[in-house]
Amino acid sequence: MSQTRFAVLMMAPALLFLAVMVAYPILLLIDNSFYHVELLKPAARTWLDLDNYIKVLTSQRLADAALRTGRYTVFALFFELVFGIVAAVFFDALGARSRWHRTVFALPLMVSPIVAGILWRFLLIDQVGIINYGLAALHLIPDPRAVSWLGNPDIVLYAVSFPDIWLTTSFVALIVFAGLQNIPRDVIEAARIDGASAVQRFLRVRLPLLRPVLAVVLIVRGVDAAKTFDLIWIQTEGGPNFQSEVLSMNIYQRMIRYGDVGQASATATVFLAAMVVLAVLAYRFIWGRSRNV
Amino acid sequence: MSNLALEDRRLRLGPAAILAGATLIVLLYALPYIYLLLTSLKPANDVLQIPPSFFPQRLSLENYANVIGSPSIPASFLNSLVVALASTILSLVLAVPAAYGASFFPNRLSGWFLLFALVTRMVPSVSLGLPFFSLMRTLGLLDTQAGLILAHTTVSLPLAIWMMAAFFESVPRELEEAARVDGCSRFGAFMRVILPVVSGGIAISALFAFIASWNEFLYALLLTSQRATTAPIMIAQFKTAYGLSWGPMTAIAVLYSAPVILVSIVLQKQIVGGLTFGAVKG
Repeated sequence: MSQTRFAVLMMAPALLFLAVMVAYPILLLIDNSFYHVELLKPAARTWLDLDNYIKVLTSQRLADAALRTGRYTVFALFFELVFGIVAAVFFDALGARSRWHRTVFALPLMVSPIVAGILWRFLLIDQVGIINYGLAALHLIPDPRAVSWLGNPDIVLYAVSFPDIWLTTSFVALIVFAGLQNIPRDVIEAARIDGASAVQRFLRVRLPLLRPVLAVVLIVRGVDAAKTFDLIWIQTEGGPNFQSEVLSMNIYQRMIRYGDVGQASATATVFLAAMVVLAVLAYRFIWGRSRNV
Repeated sequence: MSNLALEDRRLRLGPAAILAGATLIVLLYALPYIYLLLTSLKPANDVLQIPPSFFPQRLSLENYANVIGSPSIPASFLNSLVVALASTILSLVLAVPAAYGASFFPNRLSGWFLLFALVTRMVPSVSLGLPFFSLMRTLGLLDTQAGLILAHTTVSLPLAIWMMAAFFESVPRELEEAARVDGCSRFGAFMRVILPVVSGGIAISALFAFIASWNEFLYALLLTSQRATTAPIMIAQFKTAYGLSWGPMTAIAVLYSAPVILVSIVLQKQIVGGLTFGAVKG
């Protein structure tokens, strides 16, 4: 048997599965996006041309949800990176002695977003949230009820990202730690001899060398944050007043609460297209470039 | 000479300060989960006491007894376990040969295949969840374990393909050639010579596939309603149906996450490598 034929045979079952369970459903989704379809009467479809797309793309609620998805992603990523890099620098400075610290940091690596969401909801809960009692004890807020993290429409979008930041800081820290350990010691030693300060050595020597690692983290985590559903759903279900409703949730609500399969499909198709464009760019950026390094 | 970015005369951070700083970071980091653990051990009435106390005044297994005694919770854990095991096996049976074919005998198709698997991971779950709902309804698979197993395999299969491709990349090609010279068929060389070499990689991929399904929420929310409901859905429902019964909720959250945490601590290094999708060698 020729090599190529053997390779194709080995890939065939997985390809078939992906065709039936991924490609075909996506075609179904795109097909539905051109029809008026109701959830409870899927057989009675009427052709709408591009009406769903026009409605969706001119919908203020969708534009708001898209904007919130972007704000949520940027906010969560920023703090995950900052906290993660700071922790990694400390662990790297400790070297081998940071083993126990890193073991504790590995604790939430694979924890479900649902658990993190419930936990933080409990920490921030209005009357008995322990975080507010802590802040009040430190005189940072006048009394424990002064801040309603998940009830105040102005801050809820940022408050729901706390569990996301908590969960993912460990991931960023451990990856960046691995990256820091891989930087050859003599490079930093040379910079030290040339008179670079610790801050300069970090910003000018180590951070640039970490770029491929940070690129992977940014893209993997960015895509995940933009897709977030469960973590926010368990905390607020998108409320209050839709102020924590992100794109995934907007689509889910169009489908389940309003039963409008057509419009939900059109929205989901637009979302999908945006993410795939991002994915292809990411693929080129990471694997196209780091191969040459 | 250790490389200490922080240990610099201008910053005046000695080794003791670094150790203290790192320990403080780690303590702060672990506190929320420790609080969850301690809260789950309080009697149900003490869970929402005002003001909240970090340590339980009395210890009780009441919340755990409530959770284990309710008929629906153990059933949902069993559903989660069955669905996760089955989708793990299905995704590995499909992914291992495919990743071997794609990475040992690269051709034009394999490049597209790997790209397609990567793009699949970027697809928002909700964009696949909507058509899954219609598809499963047509097939009569709504609210069945089988339907959810298929849905979860679309998450774990691309992950397993990429991880296994990375593991196969590190196997020397000569191994296959030597087996062929010794009279193995191509498939025989794969089964008897290559597979044992990557068994560690298979185990890690299996772990990832299992946890991807164990933690999955949106497909389970869309595709199950009663019989096939998984644990995360039950946790979410505790909130609505019982008017926020925080005591049992903390207990169920611990039961649901503790096994995953234990595994993460033991296999920390492999997991960090796998989480970057094989892109960074951790």
